[in-house]
Amino acid sequence: MQRLIEFRGVTKRFDDGTVAVAQLDLIAAPGQITVLVGPSGCGKTTSLRMVNRMVEPTSGTLLVGGQDVRSRPPAELRRGIGYVIQQAGLFPHRTVLDNVATVPLLTGATRRAARARASELLELVGLPSELARRYPGQLSGGQQQRVGVARALAADPPVLLMDEPFSAVDPVVREGLQDELLRLQGELGKTVLFVTHDIDEAIKLGDRVAVLRAGGVLAQFGPPQQLLAEPADEFVAGFVGRDRGYRSLSFVSTDGLAVHELATVRIGAPAAGPGWWLAVDGQRRPRGWLAPPHPGGGQAVRAGGSLHRLGGPMRTALDAALSSPSGLGVVVDDTGAVVGGVRAEEVLAAWRRHRGNDA
Amino acid sequence: MLEEILRYLSSPSNREKVLDLLGEHVVLAVVPLLLGLAVAVPLGWAAQRVRWLRAPVLGSASVLYTVPALALFVLMPSVLGTRILDGANVVVALALYTVALLVRPVVDALDAVPGHVVAAATAMGYRPARRFVAVELPMAVPVLAAGVRVASVSNISLVSVGAFIGLGGLGQLFTEGFQVRYLAPIVLGIVATLLLALVMDLLLVGLRWVSTPGLRAGAQA
Amino acid sequence: MIVNEVLAWFGDPAHWRGPGGVPMRVAEHLYYTVVTVLVAVVIAVPLGLAVGHTGRGGVVLVGLTNAMRALPTLGLLTFLFLLLGSADVATVVALVVLAVPPVLAGSYAGVQSVQREIVDAARGMGMTSTQCLWQVELPAALPLLLGGLRSAVLQVVATTAVAAYLGLGGLGRLLLDGLRSLDYPQMVAAALLTAALAVLLDLLLAGMARLVVPTGVRLSAASAGGAGRPRGGGP
Repeated sequence: MQRLIEFRGVTKRFDDGTVAVAQLDLIAAPGQITVLVGPSGCGKTTSLRMVNRMVEPTSGTLLVGGQDVRSRPPAELRRGIGYVIQQAGLFPHRTVLDNVATVPLLTGATRRAARARASELLELVGLPSELARRYPGQLSGGQQQRVGVARALAADPPVLLMDEPFSAVDPVVREGLQDELLRLQGELGKTVLFVTHDIDEAIKLGDRVAVLRAGGVLAQFGPPQQLLAEPADEFVAGFVGRDRGYRSLSFVSTDGLAVHELATVRIGAPAAGPGWWLAVDGQRRPRGWLAPPHPGGGQAVRAGGSLHRLGGPMRTALDAALSSPSGLGVVVDDTGAVVGGVRAEEVLAAWRRHRGNDA
Repeated sequence: MLEEILRYLSSPSNREKVLDLLGEHVVLAVVPLLLGLAVAVPLGWAAQRVRWLRAPVLGSASVLYTVPALALFVLMPSVLGTRILDGANVVVALALYTVALLVRPVVDALDAVPGHVVAAATAMGYRPARRFVAVELPMAVPVLAAGVRVASVSNISLVSVGAFIGLGGLGQLFTEGFQVRYLAPIVLGIVATLLLALVMDLLLVGLRWVSTPGLRAGAQA
Repeated sequence: MIVNEVLAWFGDPAHWRGPGGVPMRVAEHLYYTVVTVLVAVVIAVPLGLAVGHTGRGGVVLVGLTNAMRALPTLGLLTFLFLLLGSADVATVVALVVLAVPPVLAGSYAGVQSVQREIVDAARGMGMTSTQCLWQVELPAALPLLLGGLRSAVLQVVATTAVAAYLGLGGLGRLLLDGLRSLDYPQMVAAALLTAALAVLLDLLLAGMARLVVPTGVRLSAASAGGAGRPRGGGP
């Protein structure tokens, strides 16, 4: 009950008549990441900003932790809610450390205590301590975003609002930040309301995903698997996009999938027989495939496909098998060492069994 | 006060004098503006394009701008050999001052032209000079216009101040009024100066409006 | 040669002594400048900050600033003197009218220049309006604000010469006296001194700005492409 966000019939109509959010009913469960996703103009950002009263609802009730958001002065409300925005919004005139220490200082902590807390957080979000003395203008986009997250977490708020926080960085950095968020969430268990326009991000991060239509209408709300497997209507199906079926494999486990022995050889050494051989290094990590020898002699080394981590979802297993030059998907353990191989047919057979298990 | 002014203006010699002074003021303020612009644009263009020119040009402009215009009026004769109150002297001094003021806005304005537009123009086959006139300059107009408006007000104001060392223009109404302890010409002079500044400003805004049809939607005053 | 004559003027010890001497005139000039700028700052900075921060009245402010810029200083000076009879008051008021627009424009532009995301983040974190103004907007606004200040000081130093017209002191006195006695070397000397004073004060202010503007703001302005002294401070 303490860390819950609840929208009850919340509507936002602007002065010029546009309805940004229409009668939204939504509950963000405690300790979960709830994602609001939808095309431009669907009211997702407006809805988020009503939680900390950056935008005032026209009608309806919004509760945070069981309390109506209007029952407290805005500034006080906001100090108990973490807020992360797309451009980070770091204060250019303060060091990174002092930026992170902002809310504790606002709530009356001593400078020393606030800075100590800020240091802890910088470490938590994976930033090297040398950056503490630098200024935001000297940091990269990805680093700034991490500082933004640290700053939002500084006062240890139960609720975190994130408005397209990773949209302004490049895809590689974005993926890193998404993984960081999932890791942090694993450690901290905050109640997070996350806004994005990217359905893949929504599916990756959300425990539950709310798809909004233009004009602020809720089209569907549920776990990502459900969106992929059972979209409520044409709009949701279209928004979720193609490859729905393939992507839904991300949520199917590979328990019971047989893993074969793989013929491996140390890299640099020649193959010890016909067929495909997997070249590995000293730690048994895969480095490439040795193709069957040409009639004229000589062997080509081919780059391997994607790797499937043992215990991972069916999607990675299938992709490993499909992308492997030998047709055998490489399965590795947590250290990256080769454990064995899987074939595409076997993955599909496992999938059929999984389908058969459902009522 | 209004009756006083009207009484002052009821005399034909006064009316003539005011018109003469107005004319003088316009010439002394506007000619340097045009000259200054004519020099500042190529100069700014050069400074923007040639790396090593940028700092010295902007630096000297900055220093020159720091020197009070009145001082320039006095110092110019030693350089030009004219007398202080010579029209030519004033025009040259003010033109120099205008150049110093406008070089920076020219550079800023050219900097503000989006790189991809310039690149597209070059890729289409525009040579630098033609491209400058046809693409960069028109896009630089809004920022430049702001600078020119400041220069315009500044020049009008400087000519008016110059009256205290004997310069022509509407400022003479102030000195005359002061000498005979008569408020009417002073108030008239203030109003006339304000009106002149307003008219010049409107003209410039109008010119900018006319010369940038495509940019109108986004441009602001 | 004129240069020799000017050097001779500077070399004459009589010009450095007494109430009409260079030191005295420079002191008087500085006095008017400092008083004017102080009054202008007290009036214009809070006003510019307030309008920029609340976002209301911006159009009126810009209009007011431009109108004030167009007011002829000499006209104001003579008008006020004839009206009020006090040369000191007339001079300071006329000069304050000259100094307010750049400072006002600089303060307003400075606050407006703070990127919206930063203000959004500050409010979103729970800063009250006032806290946001003091802790976030003002530091970030400093470059343009100080730029406006520099511009104002420059214009005031240049125009304080008019004080002499009413019989007061300052370097303008040297200028006018030289004019009336057709002493061209004296006029040049006065002009050179005024120019030197202006350049010196400008350098001083630039140095001060360097010290006052927070490092982080300077760095982010540099990486964004440079604020600087706004020309006439016009928005």
